[in-house]
Amino acid sequence: MQRQIKDRNILDKFCEDFCTIVEKHCKYIVVSGFLAIASGRTRGTEDIDMIIEKLSLEKFKELFSDLINHNFVCMQSSSAEEVYDYLKDNTSVRFTWKEKDLPEMEVKFAKDMLDEYQLKNRIKLELTGLNVWFSNVNVNIAFKEELLKSPKDLEDAKHLRIVYAEQINEEEIKMIKQLIKRFRL
Amino acid sequence: MREEHLQQVERWAHFVKENPTKWKKIHTEFIDALFEKHESFRERLLQTPNGKEKLQKLHDLRK
Repeated sequence: MQRQIKDRNILDKFCEDFCTIVEKHCKYIVVSGFLAIASGRTRGTEDIDMIIEKLSLEKFKELFSDLINHNFVCMQSSSAEEVYDYLKDNTSVRFTWKEKDLPEMEVKFAKDMLDEYQLKNRIKLELTGLNVWFSNVNVNIAFKEELLKSPKDLEDAKHLRIVYAEQINEEEIKMIKQLIKRFRL
Repeated sequence: MREEHLQQVERWAHFVKENPTKWKKIHTEFIDALFEKHESFRERLLQTPNGKEKLQKLHDLRK
């Protein structure tokens, strides 16, 4: 990806560092608030949400060890087996830089066909200037408008609809909203 | 108030879309300032009585 924008903020650095490691081990996507923030939304966040494909314990141990060796720590436990148990139970786990409270990466396994759809249709967004896989813009808008619905999320959706006007596909948004009603509500 | 805020969100989104090489510098300063604020508060809290314990409680809240 050609970078046009060089000013990386703390969230950008944290996210790219983390994603560079995860990329070596599995398919991932960054979803929700950070997509909006990386696309210019001016609001704060403590965490970045990531979905990764389901891994075996052996493969997860390799990923976990790589993260630890690159100065990340898991808030829940330093044991890969324990952290894997959380993920297997569809509970998210949080990573930070060692000796830094914030920001956090909240990681969970893909849990249903909606997550699989997002992983399959992941994209890189040039406007963000980041070499990071995101779930596509239409899916994010659908989640924010149909499931999350807080003022902050509705503002994120409004922002995304404006900055990515050419990529908006109302049919896809409608289809995802129907899937959300079926699987998540 | 919310309507005015939404208008501001829209104005900024249009600025981002129309100025792909300008928005990032402004945005980076904003985001970094939030974390710098957090870090300096954390350091100040550490200097207070029971500051370390309070920080630990805040940390545990997020687990």
